[in-house]
Amino acid sequence: MINQNINVALIGNPNVGKTSVFNQLTGLNQQVGNYPGITVEKKIGFCKLPNNVKANILDLPGTYSLNASSIDENVVIELLLNKNDKLYPDVALVVTDVENLKRNLLLFTQIKDLEIPTILVINMADRMEHKGISLDIPYLEEQLKTKIALVSSRKGFGIEELKKLIVTYKTISSEPCLNASIIDPEYFESLRKAFPSQLLYKLWLVITQDVNFLNLERKEIHSSFTKSHSDLKRLQQKETIKRYQFINDTLKVGLKVDASIAKDFRSKLDRVLTHKVWGYVIFFLILFVIFQSIFEWSKIPMDFIDSSFASLSTWAKDSLPDGVLTNLISQGIIPGIGGILIFIPQIAFLFLFISILEESGYMSRVVFLMDKIMRKFGLSGKSVVPLISGTACAIPAIMATRNIENWKERLITILVTPFTTCSARLPVYAIIIALVIPDKRVLGILNLQGLTLMLLYLLGFGMAIFSAYALNKVMKIKSKTFFVVEMPNYKLPMFKNVAINVIEKTKAFVYGAGKIILAISIILWFLASYGPGKQFKNAEEIVKAKTESTALTAVELENEVASYKLENSYIGIMGKTIEPVISPLGYDWKIGIAIISSFAAREVFVGTLATIYSVGGSDNDDTIKNKMAAEINPATGEKVFNFASGISLLLFYAFALQCASTLAVTKKETNSWKWPLGQLIFMSGFAYLLALITYQILK
Amino acid sequence: MLQEIIAFIILALAVGFLVKKYFFKKKKSSKSCSSDDCGCH
Amino acid sequence: MRTTINSLKKGEKAIIKDFDIDVIPLKLLEMGCLPGNTVELLQIAPFGDPLYLDINGSHLAIRVETAAEIEVELIKIQL
Repeated sequence: MINQNINVALIGNPNVGKTSVFNQLTGLNQQVGNYPGITVEKKIGFCKLPNNVKANILDLPGTYSLNASSIDENVVIELLLNKNDKLYPDVALVVTDVENLKRNLLLFTQIKDLEIPTILVINMADRMEHKGISLDIPYLEEQLKTKIALVSSRKGFGIEELKKLIVTYKTISSEPCLNASIIDPEYFESLRKAFPSQLLYKLWLVITQDVNFLNLERKEIHSSFTKSHSDLKRLQQKETIKRYQFINDTLKVGLKVDASIAKDFRSKLDRVLTHKVWGYVIFFLILFVIFQSIFEWSKIPMDFIDSSFASLSTWAKDSLPDGVLTNLISQGIIPGIGGILIFIPQIAFLFLFISILEESGYMSRVVFLMDKIMRKFGLSGKSVVPLISGTACAIPAIMATRNIENWKERLITILVTPFTTCSARLPVYAIIIALVIPDKRVLGILNLQGLTLMLLYLLGFGMAIFSAYALNKVMKIKSKTFFVVEMPNYKLPMFKNVAINVIEKTKAFVYGAGKIILAISIILWFLASYGPGKQFKNAEEIVKAKTESTALTAVELENEVASYKLENSYIGIMGKTIEPVISPLGYDWKIGIAIISSFAAREVFVGTLATIYSVGGSDNDDTIKNKMAAEINPATGEKVFNFASGISLLLFYAFALQCASTLAVTKKETNSWKWPLGQLIFMSGFAYLLALITYQILK
Repeated sequence: MLQEIIAFIILALAVGFLVKKYFFKKKKSSKSCSSDDCGCH
Repeated sequence: MRTTINSLKKGEKAIIKDFDIDVIPLKLLEMGCLPGNTVELLQIAPFGDPLYLDINGSHLAIRVETAAEIEVELIKIQL
């Protein structure tokens, strides 16, 4: 028994600090994955409790009640209804916010009805004094038939007491605290008779929810107990009223608020942040600071990583014995790893800002501020969240559309989200901007490169909004609009939560995308180092014969041979084949290869060029950036990365849908291939045309 | 020679990894995306 | 004329009286939007929509079209 881990489920409304409690209990001891078959994030942590008890802590998605309205909420019900699930909780912790106790208790009473031992965790207890709140804990414990833990995940108090309480889970009552069946006694009585072994509330949930319940055949219940949708909803309303009556009666005695003490910081801040002028100004300023800092602050670590890997490459070449493996390491693997690590600073900064915006409660104000404007374009205020988190990655962003209640608004949001500049585009932008946009300041303070980057982000948003407008005009879908957003209290973001989030996301990038980038770098190195036929084999003789008349130094000759070999390698032949398609856009065949390999992941672009140029040149100690800057197009004699081709590349990457994972997630969320294919054809076609026109005008 | 053998083993591993990731993902993803974040980064 | 939430002025409080249950999402009921509870209009977004309410202690925003379905009775502020 001692070695057996107990299962603890954390359940609670959104914005009650559930994740902070989770982080406090588990520290960095957590695993993030997905629930089987669906892309809902599943977080499990491990925690050592007193008396040598170990616990698996499961952080369930935030939900307002057990009446699910999204896939995320469904996860909660499916777990709580299935006793055979290996994560089925031995004890449930319902996390609540002391300032929103009334509403939070609704979920608590529902969990109690499932007859699971439940502990009520009242979080943010440090604010009670400030808000003039006092609680009668013994009374509440008696009425709610539970044990209460007063904690502050922010200040870190109460956590040890909570751990002690979890250990005693066997003594905690699993009795319901109210009888919901009185809303329609006759109906519930007949249910009870039909399924005597089943829990009544479970039956009721199965009837009203769209969940799969293993032990009960839905059809069986439905045939005998069907009620019209409208009748069911009326009963659900009655049930909700019943629960609130109970909660109100309980809190009347158990909770006292001295309103004279409460100072309302929230309303003052709201007045500014949702102001019709200042609200937008502040929102824009915040975005501006984010983009400037991503470019400016990450420059130093990025340059450092870039040059370190260049010298590491030289070192490997010089100190290892000559041979194929040494070349693979110095030209393929080291630049490949460098091409992954170089993006860590920017990605970490981006996730840092996004998690601060979400943690602080500001994101809901943006939703409120933008709803009316977004609706003109067929979107919802809630679309702002996917569009902003799309700057990290389109995949979680598309999943974040699930809380948009209106199907048409949601579909449009899914379709246009990939236009926003995701973090995978960032490295491509960064290197091309560094190459073709001068590092100057305009108006004294604005860095021209940072400004260009911001323009590209705005272009992405602009295109998303514009396409939404067009789609809204074209699509003929009628659906009811329901829009409910909770406006949470403002909170100072907690360092621990933000740090854990940034570390998790960066790790996911390094291990997820990193593996792909590394594998592709290795394959590319082989394709670039080997070639078919005589021309590749006899490269040295052919070049020597060609250049006999001109006196070349040994180094120059070596470079000539290397680039001749590259052109005749497998990759050179592939590149030359597609060159006619991309040369009108201003790209040479090397860029062509990089674009093709980008379809595995956009970030591969820089790594690909790094590998190709490493093989093609003899000087390995140069950085990727310098190698790209020095590249000359032999046909035109101009630099390969000049202003015209640079801008054309930027625009191509801004609009083309080069991400297999995005297509997969769109298919999953829309349940049809029609939408992802439309996305792919429209976005990539548009990108090609725009890059073509731009290059032809600018060149 | 030994260098060449090791180099080609590494190549085989790299190709194997990508093939597994993109062609055999279907089977796996129907059950779970596990911790690889569904190819998202 | 019946009074609905969208006809409140900023800072006004009212008691929720009645609404057609079929057009109000269940989620809103669960947030505390039930007959007999108080509602206060805290803020109106720029361009007049959505509305930022305090319903029974819950702070939330809903659109005008939903607010127009919820009938209320204004609480006169005693001086």
